[in-house]
Amino acid sequence: MSNIKVSTKNVNVHYGTKQALHQVTLDINEKEVTALIGPSGCGKSTFLRCINRMNDLIDICKVDGSITVDNEEIISDEVDVVSLRSKIGMVFQKPNPFPKSIFDNVAYGPTIHGIVDTKSDLQEIVHSSLKRAGLLKEVKDRLHEPGTSLSGGQQQRLCIARAIAVNPDIILMDEPCSALDPIATATIEELIDELKNKYTIVIVTHSMQQAARVSQRTGFFHLGELVETGETQKIFTNPDNEKTQGYITGRFG
Amino acid sequence: MSNQFSHERIIQLRKKRSAADRRFKTYGLIATLTGMAILFFLLFTIFSKGYSSFQKTVIELDVMFDQETLKITPNATYKEQVEAKFFKVKKNAIANALPDLSKKDIKLMNKMFSINVDKEIKEYFLQNPNILNTTQKLLVTAHSDVDQMLKGNAKRNIEEKKRKLNDRQLEFFDEFVFTGRLKSKFNNFFFTNADSRHPELAGIAGSFVGSLFTLITVFLLAFPIGIGASIYLEEFAPKNKFTELIEVNIANLAAVPSIVFGLLGLGILLNVFGLPRSTPLVGGTVLALMTLPTIIIACRASLKAVPPSIKEGALAMGATKMQAVFHHQVPLALPGTLTGTIIGLAQALGETAPLIMIGMIAFIPKIPTGFTEPSAALPVQIYLWVESAERGFQEKTAAAIMMILIFLFLMNAIAVFLRSRFERKW
Repeated sequence: MSNIKVSTKNVNVHYGTKQALHQVTLDINEKEVTALIGPSGCGKSTFLRCINRMNDLIDICKVDGSITVDNEEIISDEVDVVSLRSKIGMVFQKPNPFPKSIFDNVAYGPTIHGIVDTKSDLQEIVHSSLKRAGLLKEVKDRLHEPGTSLSGGQQQRLCIARAIAVNPDIILMDEPCSALDPIATATIEELIDELKNKYTIVIVTHSMQQAARVSQRTGFFHLGELVETGETQKIFTNPDNEKTQGYITGRFG
Repeated sequence: MSNQFSHERIIQLRKKRSAADRRFKTYGLIATLTGMAILFFLLFTIFSKGYSSFQKTVIELDVMFDQETLKITPNATYKEQVEAKFFKVKKNAIANALPDLSKKDIKLMNKMFSINVDKEIKEYFLQNPNILNTTQKLLVTAHSDVDQMLKGNAKRNIEEKKRKLNDRQLEFFDEFVFTGRLKSKFNNFFFTNADSRHPELAGIAGSFVGSLFTLITVFLLAFPIGIGASIYLEEFAPKNKFTELIEVNIANLAAVPSIVFGLLGLGILLNVFGLPRSTPLVGGTVLALMTLPTIIIACRASLKAVPPSIKEGALAMGATKMQAVFHHQVPLALPGTLTGTIIGLAQALGETAPLIMIGMIAFIPKIPTGFTEPSAALPVQIYLWVESAERGFQEKTAAAIMMILIFLFLMNAIAVFLRSRFERKW
């Protein structure tokens, strides 16, 4: 039995008067890939952004309920979101490398947190992060070219390298492959498979095949509610809920 | 199916649509060409009127540096040389400019030379003190009336009363031209002198330097304050009624007539704070207030144009808000901000009304050397010259406009350069 890394209880999210999430209770296991699936607008991205408090950026967004990371409550004004986010990396739907060099992109996290003292340490971190993101071979001769000069798939792996450079515990991925072609997608999926040995990964995806391929556990969201959660294999072969059944067989969504 | 239209109908209508396309293109072309034609006409008028001001007329004069007149000895000290009687040397030289001049003629002749001639003779002598007791051919500056006559700006076929040069002076003029003693030279005075009551001596340097000091003041005040205010309003300010009120009022300030800012400067900077009037410091402060809204609006627009994904990326990495803003938003917003700043500075450069209010319209015959010295500014200089009665100031006005245009052109070139340097793609 794996340890529980993130645990949420009765999480509600409101955008102004509109409720986006209803009483979501979900446990996320350590060093596993948890996939969140569901039709557009069902609240899976909103849920993901609760875990690293990115919803704080939206003025009208209000989160209540309880979310614990390593048994520590994070839905509280006393929580330091900066340190929280240094523990939880995030990869976005559209690759968003900074308009800086490849090297500076990966070096950004370690630099702002001040965790490296020497230039050679920083170089070491950048190289190992790029290597773990499977990008080093392709870019090692052009580390000082802008990150935006890479292809879409490479940019997304650069963003993953950037996220793991601060050595987080958890990586949140918000539809990381939706802007990529099938080959780039396959590369990223292989990478996710490898990364789960070291990190806890939560991935939001539109593609049910992707969820089936990369995840150990799956949660199905519908209209702001977590309809069903369980072992991926079970969700895709023998779901308990009728709606889940309907969604995975393509009858709606 | 209820779609009843035929393909031919589409082709028919298509013809109309492409005709409209072509028409619109023509209108656009006409508008562009008209604009360019007007602009070229304007530039042509200014340049054709102003270029002659880059030349001055000089008269060749035989100057006798004899020691009796100068009242110095060959081994005089520098101080004695400086105090020598050069005005007498000049008087003699002018009296002998043409042979057989009566007393009245000499008076008339004297009016054909610039009052600067003594100084020119003196400078020449101080540079070559060994010319004592020799006669030298010197090119000395002619009076503006002679200058204008030679340039053809003053008419000569009109009655004597309406002319600046009377009939006798015209005879001298013709004699000088005939003997080749009237020459055109590059007008260094225009670039090295401050304003003067005498058109042939008036130059742009004073107001140019004044404008430069003023613009430096504007930049140093408005740029940091403008960027600071923009960043605060855009990224940090709580979104409430008070912030909204400030935002609306910044937009309003951008539309306030510039003379109002001038009155503010007069009322507060001069009268309450007692800052020195007519100075670039006060002028620059007033213009900075005027420029501030332009900079804030441009800077906020560029900050808004930075994709939010960049900021989100930085925040998700655990950057603090300030780090996200200063590492990513500000560098990306810089090119747009700089463009806005240069537009604001260009506006400030051409602004006259507020400067008049704080006394920068005063006649300042001296090049300022600091921010707290009385000084003129280019647009005010143009205003002063265009008002002057002497014909010689007409070409000066056009030339000053040329200088202000060149100044603007340089500023825009800097803006383009900075833009292309800092611009980054994402």
